[in-house]
Amino acid sequence: MSDRALRFGVGAVALVGAAVAGYLTYVHYQPESLICTGGGGCETVQESSYAELFGIPVALLGLLAYLAVLGLVIWDSELARTLAAAIALGGLAFAGYLVALQALVIDAWCVWCLVNDLIVVPTLAVLTVWRAARAAPAAT
Amino acid sequence: MPPVDQTAPPSGSGRRNLILAAGAAVLVVAAIVVASLVFRGGDDEATETTGTGTTPGEIGALFEGIPQDRAVLGSPDATVTMIQFEDLQCPVCKRYQEEGLPGIVEEYVQPGKVKLRFAGLAFIGPDSEKALLHVIAAGAQGKLWQYADELYANQGAENSGWVTDALLKRVAGDLGLDFAKLQKDADSKAVLDQANAMATEASERQVPGTPWFYVQIGDGEPYEVRPSSFAVEEFRQILDDALAG
Repeated sequence: MSDRALRFGVGAVALVGAAVAGYLTYVHYQPESLICTGGGGCETVQESSYAELFGIPVALLGLLAYLAVLGLVIWDSELARTLAAAIALGGLAFAGYLVALQALVIDAWCVWCLVNDLIVVPTLAVLTVWRAARAAPAAT
Repeated sequence: MPPVDQTAPPSGSGRRNLILAAGAAVLVVAAIVVASLVFRGGDDEATETTGTGTTPGEIGALFEGIPQDRAVLGSPDATVTMIQFEDLQCPVCKRYQEEGLPGIVEEYVQPGKVKLRFAGLAFIGPDSEKALLHVIAAGAQGKLWQYADELYANQGAENSGWVTDALLKRVAGDLGLDFAKLQKDADSKAVLDQANAMATEASERQVPGTPWFYVQIGDGEPYEVRPSSFAVEEFRQILDDALAG
């Protein structure tokens, strides 16, 4: 796969992630409980005390992380690739923690959270690490 | 100029930097998670909602002396109706029940200015449906609002099977309802039709979540209202505007 295709892939996945995290941030700040696709669970997860870290919604942190990755894709230096991979891997670790919370502590599943934690974040981690692990184009 | 090799193996220093950055990121996340768990102090009230409920009679007092006609609470002469779409399993609905409803009932329903119409929307799961059918059935004994309130007070984790026959019986007993009749009514076609009518209304109005509110003036077309919180001040503005016509 060419570096250009990888760069496009990282940007596209980060955009999808930003959309999902943006929706969950919006839901978090609504006084109502929005109906989530695939049934209930969102309400419980979003209402749980784990939905915030030090008063900041977890969804908002995710949104900021995706926007940071998008910014790094645009910047696109070797350092930017490394930072993007680091953010994605940190996000992957955090996503694992969130899935464990839903399964073991909250005992409810939020469909959009799972889409993010099990599909978007791992995909982003693979793509960013793949891209960062390749050598920078040789300057001649 | 030779072509750029896009698939060359990573340089040693690049790979080292990547591993260092990844390790640092994971460590930072782990530290944040541990710190947040430590500072939470075991506060689980939002998720572990299966409680003992409120003292029987405490909630009933809120509705004492207020006319009830099936799903409608309040004076038949009130010209303004607020319609509430709710799922009895929804934790946000429980919060509205505790934070918003008492003030509205005291300020607007008890004086006969506004009436409230309960509209069930059982979208979360089987416990929602079972609870809704029993709440509607309680309406046949004139205590739909009390029964719903008691179920909210005893709300458990979503779809955990918390709407047990034992709970339904205990709540009925606390409110002085005939449990045998309640169960029979809950299984009846008439109650199912009412639940389906509520679901149809929610679908027609494209209700996107719960709780969701509409205000109706007289026989006019209900319009959607969006309080930004459940504070009574929010509803005061909405209901005062409706009362002013």
